[in-house]
Amino acid sequence: MSGEFQWQLAGRCYRLGHNVPHPGGVVPNRIIIGRHFDAKDIIPHLFEETDPGFHTRCKPGDIIVAGKNFGMGPKMNGYIAMQALGLGLVCESMPFLAYRAAIGCGLRVMTDCINATELCETGDELEVDFRNGFFINHTRDIRREYPPIPDSLLELVELGGNTGWLKQWHESRKAAQS
Amino acid sequence: MSAQTAVEKILALKSGKAAVRPGDVVHPDPDFIMIHDGVVMGAKRELDALGITRLAAPDKVLMVTDHDVIYGSARAAERGAYNREAAKAWGVKNFFDVGRGGHGHIFPMECGMLLPGMFYFDNDRHATNAGAIGAFGFRMGTEISRVLATGTNWIVVPKSVKLTIKGKLQPGVHARDLGFRIAALIESGALTEDLDYRVLEYAGDLDQFGLAARAALCSSPTEMRAYGVFVPPSPAILEHARAQAKMPFTPIYADPGAQYEAQCEIDVSTLEPQVATPGGVQNAVNLSQVSGTRVSHAFIGSCGSGMWDDMEQACSVLRGKRIAPQVRLFVAPGSEATMKRLAREGLLQTFIEAGAVMLPPGCGPCNDAVIGPVHSGEVSISTAANNNAGRFGACDAQLYLGSPATVAASAVAGEIIDPRNLQ
Repeated sequence: MSGEFQWQLAGRCYRLGHNVPHPGGVVPNRIIIGRHFDAKDIIPHLFEETDPGFHTRCKPGDIIVAGKNFGMGPKMNGYIAMQALGLGLVCESMPFLAYRAAIGCGLRVMTDCINATELCETGDELEVDFRNGFFINHTRDIRREYPPIPDSLLELVELGGNTGWLKQWHESRKAAQS
Repeated sequence: MSAQTAVEKILALKSGKAAVRPGDVVHPDPDFIMIHDGVVMGAKRELDALGITRLAAPDKVLMVTDHDVIYGSARAAERGAYNREAAKAWGVKNFFDVGRGGHGHIFPMECGMLLPGMFYFDNDRHATNAGAIGAFGFRMGTEISRVLATGTNWIVVPKSVKLTIKGKLQPGVHARDLGFRIAALIESGALTEDLDYRVLEYAGDLDQFGLAARAALCSSPTEMRAYGVFVPPSPAILEHARAQAKMPFTPIYADPGAQYEAQCEIDVSTLEPQVATPGGVQNAVNLSQVSGTRVSHAFIGSCGSGMWDDMEQACSVLRGKRIAPQVRLFVAPGSEATMKRLAREGLLQTFIEAGAVMLPPGCGPCNDAVIGPVHSGEVSISTAANNNAGRFGACDAQLYLGSPATVAASAVAGEIIDPRNLQ
């Protein structure tokens, strides 16, 4: 790995509640059933049904803090948009397939972060290190240590997810054979 | 070394480790890799775009044709042609084309390709059926492309929940009835809090369950988000496996003292036939609560109820009877072998004379309604994997689930009835 990847994000908090479903809660269902996987097609629709225009207000480094059971379903469309926007995701819990889909999109994501939504409000200044699990709310002077992205998945996230990882894997094999 | 569950032992063995624990990330070396007809095109196009034209282990790949077997559309025919070319280009010898093999989650267990103690990757979530023979199949979804290219992928070792079966099912009560009941108890929180990404490992009075019944026991927990189901192989299952085995195998069982996230038990001796009412397997009720509900569509088959014993139980109800005039009954045996045996032993005649329509081995209507769908407002009873709205046709159709015997009896009566009243 290059070592230059930014595991630490610093930005504003965007707080969500519990049981936010992927269809409707993260992106409109039509984006999912329309099989939109290109970030530029999805970005304008991120949180569109609950917070229209979110994509125009968020900035790289901002961190979405969600409650329990975030992003139900093995859908990846919303994570593609979050990753492309440079956002991070911290959840109290996610169904495993939602977590796998987020990692597979190369998103900086931590789950099983107990009571994370009770430690912040939308707009707070947060700092999160996804490689070591540090969660800091500078606005409220709160620090926690949560389960980070497992070491064995860091490379997958750093390479931008499944497609980037496979591309790199294939190129290294070709280089080794030539 | 500390004690492990059955699936932990399988994952440790295939990952070259002495032991694994829930939460560990491992990259197991699979015994084989399964991909079905509906997703080959997507996987191949993804790999082609990256310039990956060779598979890591083509000899391990099992391409099956069960989702759209008889091409209900021009698009399906095009996909079939693509799949044949893909098998050739990839050098996949175990390509089960139209009319070969059958349902990918059934025929490999029947014919000795999937054996106790094995591990495999699959694109489809009903890989959980492997637990019926004491193996572990792991769903990859679209990430099956990485497995095809590299031979493996990352897995987080799941937590296991142990469910002990106490007592014996009464005559006329099927393992599928028990599966529906278990789903309802999971939903209510009476058995365990959550099955998301868990392995449900059965224990207790399991010798009463043959291979088909074990597949039925794998079905409903899968719909409750279990990622694996494991039924420790009985002497009868091992005997079947040894008789059919295409290669050596070693059965694996949980260690005494293995750690489970939760342990629960269920007394099955007083269980009545169950029906899952529309909306999900967890909506199971005693059949008597919905008896008399008029039906016009019926289906017997799917990964949960497509084996020989399921067909035989349906035939024991249908023999000498005809289905009601307003009902159409579809039957999809799980494998070509079962279809042949049905013909050989006269059961095919029973189905046909009862008025059933035989479908080719495979998923039948239980895959996006590519065949035999329901229309708007219709009422169906079937043995499909689930009865979520729109599972096989119109979203406002009412989909009930029952055991093969219940579906057969209800098709004859034209309404939901207890099969014990007809046998």
